[in-house]
Amino acid sequence: MNLIPDVEVHRPKSLEEALKHMEAPGAKPLAGGTDLIIDLREGACEARNLVDLTKVKELDYIREFGGRIRIGAMTHHTDLVASDLIRTKAQVLSEAANLVGSIQIRNLGTVGGNICNASPGADTATPLLALGAEATISSSGGVRVIPLGEFFAGPKRTSLNPGELLTELSFPTPPAGSGGAFQKLGRRKGCTLSLINIAAYVELDGDTCSEVRVAVGACAPTPVRITDVEEMLKGKKIDEAVIGEVSSACYGLVQPSQRAHSRASEEYRREMSCVLMRRALTTALERARGNK
Amino acid sequence: MEYDKILEDLLGRKEFLIVGKSIIRTDALDKALGRAKYTSDYIQPGTVVVKEVYSTHPHALIKRLDTSAALEIPGVLAVYTGADVPGENQIGYAMPDQPFLCDEKVHFIGDPIAIVCAEDEYAAQEARDAVVVEYDPLPANFTIDETLAKDAIHIHEGGNIALTSRIRKGDVEKGFSEAKVEVEGTYETPYQDHAYIEPDVAYAFPEGAGKVTVIGAMQSPFLVREKVAGVLGWNLNQVRVIQALTGGAFGGKDDTGPLVSAKAAMAAVKLGRPAALVYDRFEVTAYTPKRFPSRIHLRTGVDKDGMLTATKVDIKLDCGAYANRAPYWLWRQTVHATGPYEVPNVHVDGTAVYTNKVFGGSYRGFGNLAVHFAVDSHMDRLANELGMDPVELRLRNVLTVGKRTASNQLLDHSVGIEECIRGVAEASDWAEIRKPRRKGNKVRGVGIGTAHHGISTSRGAPDWSAASVILNEDGSFTYRTSICELGQGTPIGHAKIVAEIVGAKMEAFHIEIPDTDTMANARPTHGSRGLALGGTAAADAALKLREQMVNTAATLFECEKDRIDLRNSMASCKDDPSKKMAFKELAHEMYVRGANPAAYGFFTPPRRFFDPETGLGVSYPAYTFAATVCEVEVDLETGQVEILKIWPAMDVGKAIDPLLIDGQIHGAISHGIGIALMESIRLDAGEVINPNLTDYVIPSSMDTPEVAESILVEKPYRHSAFGAKGVGEPAIISIVPAISNAIYHATGVSFNTIPITAERLHAALRRGGQ
Repeated sequence: MNLIPDVEVHRPKSLEEALKHMEAPGAKPLAGGTDLIIDLREGACEARNLVDLTKVKELDYIREFGGRIRIGAMTHHTDLVASDLIRTKAQVLSEAANLVGSIQIRNLGTVGGNICNASPGADTATPLLALGAEATISSSGGVRVIPLGEFFAGPKRTSLNPGELLTELSFPTPPAGSGGAFQKLGRRKGCTLSLINIAAYVELDGDTCSEVRVAVGACAPTPVRITDVEEMLKGKKIDEAVIGEVSSACYGLVQPSQRAHSRASEEYRREMSCVLMRRALTTALERARGNK
Repeated sequence: MEYDKILEDLLGRKEFLIVGKSIIRTDALDKALGRAKYTSDYIQPGTVVVKEVYSTHPHALIKRLDTSAALEIPGVLAVYTGADVPGENQIGYAMPDQPFLCDEKVHFIGDPIAIVCAEDEYAAQEARDAVVVEYDPLPANFTIDETLAKDAIHIHEGGNIALTSRIRKGDVEKGFSEAKVEVEGTYETPYQDHAYIEPDVAYAFPEGAGKVTVIGAMQSPFLVREKVAGVLGWNLNQVRVIQALTGGAFGGKDDTGPLVSAKAAMAAVKLGRPAALVYDRFEVTAYTPKRFPSRIHLRTGVDKDGMLTATKVDIKLDCGAYANRAPYWLWRQTVHATGPYEVPNVHVDGTAVYTNKVFGGSYRGFGNLAVHFAVDSHMDRLANELGMDPVELRLRNVLTVGKRTASNQLLDHSVGIEECIRGVAEASDWAEIRKPRRKGNKVRGVGIGTAHHGISTSRGAPDWSAASVILNEDGSFTYRTSICELGQGTPIGHAKIVAEIVGAKMEAFHIEIPDTDTMANARPTHGSRGLALGGTAAADAALKLREQMVNTAATLFECEKDRIDLRNSMASCKDDPSKKMAFKELAHEMYVRGANPAAYGFFTPPRRFFDPETGLGVSYPAYTFAATVCEVEVDLETGQVEILKIWPAMDVGKAIDPLLIDGQIHGAISHGIGIALMESIRLDAGEVINPNLTDYVIPSSMDTPEVAESILVEKPYRHSAFGAKGVGEPAIISIVPAISNAIYHATGVSFNTIPITAERLHAALRRGGQ
């Protein structure tokens, strides 16, 4: 492993200042650094200017406003886990954040960093996709909001343009009758990368599934929604038997890596997508039923 | 002296004051508060940065080596190659097959070719990348079969077989003819990285023209001294080696200590400046020695009564590029090849082969992990075939006093494996938890594993230990040993032994860090010998000092020597309570009266021997035994294994400190779970493809199960201090088959390779388990 290359570090105190620095050539935002520093040392990415966002406090918040839950990009995983709002209204995200890395990683790492790192298995990406999240992107030129699904452009690649920063992730406040759940399979129990993870979110109207979103991680070049599964459930009566049936369809719907030295084989990931989908949907349904 | 008699005969006490009791480690607070000093804490600003140029080819001739561009880089001080080595450019441990810096040929990706020295890290890194090495690539052998093929290219002169070993005991064919049931299987174990928390490091500084001091992470300061002196072409007394507190080693730093230290020392001597070599995680994981992979073919016969009749074993050891510890590793596997069971007819052939991969080296369990995984897996398969309980089958065959090992060594005392097996079976309520338990997609199982592990060096190599203790003028004590503190606390065990014998309080002790200039060679901290041998040298010193203390006290108190009591740092006369004196005063009197206040201890265990033709003989002075029961829960849908609970037992001879033993047992459990379920260095064409802790996965605290109270069986070894035997290795040996047998019990799938990852178990269940 190499040393961190020669790089200029900027430490803005406001978003406005940060956005100015982001216009410098080869600028990259530094949030928790838990992925970026390793990538820099391994030569996996290049940066001439690092814009350290740790002092930009205006990007560190969790709040509910205008029927949406809004999370600043510099919110640490630890704070997501500790948030009563997230735990009670968006348990799927709380569960996932609690399984990111180790305590130390969760203290340093941020949700914005996790999303911008754009790992196909990013643990907060699938719950945010399942919650129907949008990404707020800022630059000196203005602000744009896109569905989170459009934010990911490939493994470790985003659709951010030069000079742009991800500043907020937001999603509609889940209503009564909704429930979500997160399932993750790693190579060990603690401090583990996802071989595959799945987030499920359902809204019930009586026995009928009025809304459903499911997302899978580490089974495609980016974290993705499995809309085929969603369509099989939406507007239908939902129970454990139905869940069992639709979950087994995942086998053919996911596209795991076929690389020789992948962390898990394509076959295993396909099979596990069915198991984890069933478990996530079953728990989500249970929670939705209890969420009166 | 037979130390098990020390209590009554010498100390005149009914019970020990310090030995056998758990204490708070003398170094606990410093380590908890981050005040303890490790090697990197000694490195001063202005130190020369040393980095290595590594081979990028698994097998190649070096056509051209050009350092000129590297030397042009500002801040670069020197680039040294094999031609610059002042002494011997050879650093093989057991065999002279390993160049210190490769100058003609490279044998694996990561072979060192040159060292660069620079004023700072950036210049050193740039220089490392600027050294031009032109290779003439050769075909490479990556597997045991490739390297043993008739037309395989030779990796070293003399061929691809590093060495062989054998045992011929009884008549195996006759034994198999008496068997009712036979099982046969091939068991493979992978490279395992030590994953110690502190990467390898050495800091060297010259002192005058003919002296260099090295501070480093290591397990054998005197081996480091020997190798550094060899590379420099100096006498041993021109090299001073200090072992700083070391952040984990597990065998690995026994091998890396000399390699890293010699490079730092060569730079420091040639440049006349302090120099340091500090590895990063990539170098540690990709290029330093690993647990030797092995492939063991086992055929075992058992008669209708469940008595083992014959064992035939073929061991293929994959050395990687250099033999390093292979002669000792293979020999240890050979003489332990039956596990802790008596088998009348034994036939073992061992072959250690070279391949073009990172080389193997010392590692906790030293060959016995692979052997016991094979043997104990077989015991469960045999029990299954016979319809017998696995514990019952083990108890019928287990080694007891009067029985003989695979090498025909008669065990005449200190054999506690039967008590270990009975202990864990009872504690776990074996008969009850062996009943099938399935709930939904989760199924539970329990398994047992065992271990026996010889104390001291292998192949009958001479072994000894040394120690010294000084009673200072104020009644405090200074204890010196070159047995290293690696986290395990062995020197604290020594100090407890000394404190018990001289009747001192533990607080009165200061344990010096090993320094080859101020002590005699206590030999390495390996082979589970640090306590059993090192502690006995400590006892020898303590007994000599005690005699001086007793003599002085008897003179002062005007009473007989056998009426003197030494305890809690006080001397007193048993007959007259008014006659008493603190050690502070006693020490003063000793200095004034000319009673020697310092003592040097030395110990060598009874010699061992073996017949090279048959392998038979006395292999080790004593054996530590262990048994472990493990309960698992298997997720039949995902293949994930959760270790629910572990019941450990060990025959430790005598527990000097039960808490320190717990530390070793609990650590070994995690360590063993690692190799049983997840750890494996993966290679592609000789290149390590998971050279980091992201993809070389080791257990986290959340993967650590509940561990029942350790059952400590005490069958003292006659010749060691208080009868203590080493405890660092056996627990990792017995945990691995305990886990695999528990999985076998739960699922019906008997694995013959590890790690048993979720994906592998899932695939096996799909193929034909449940």
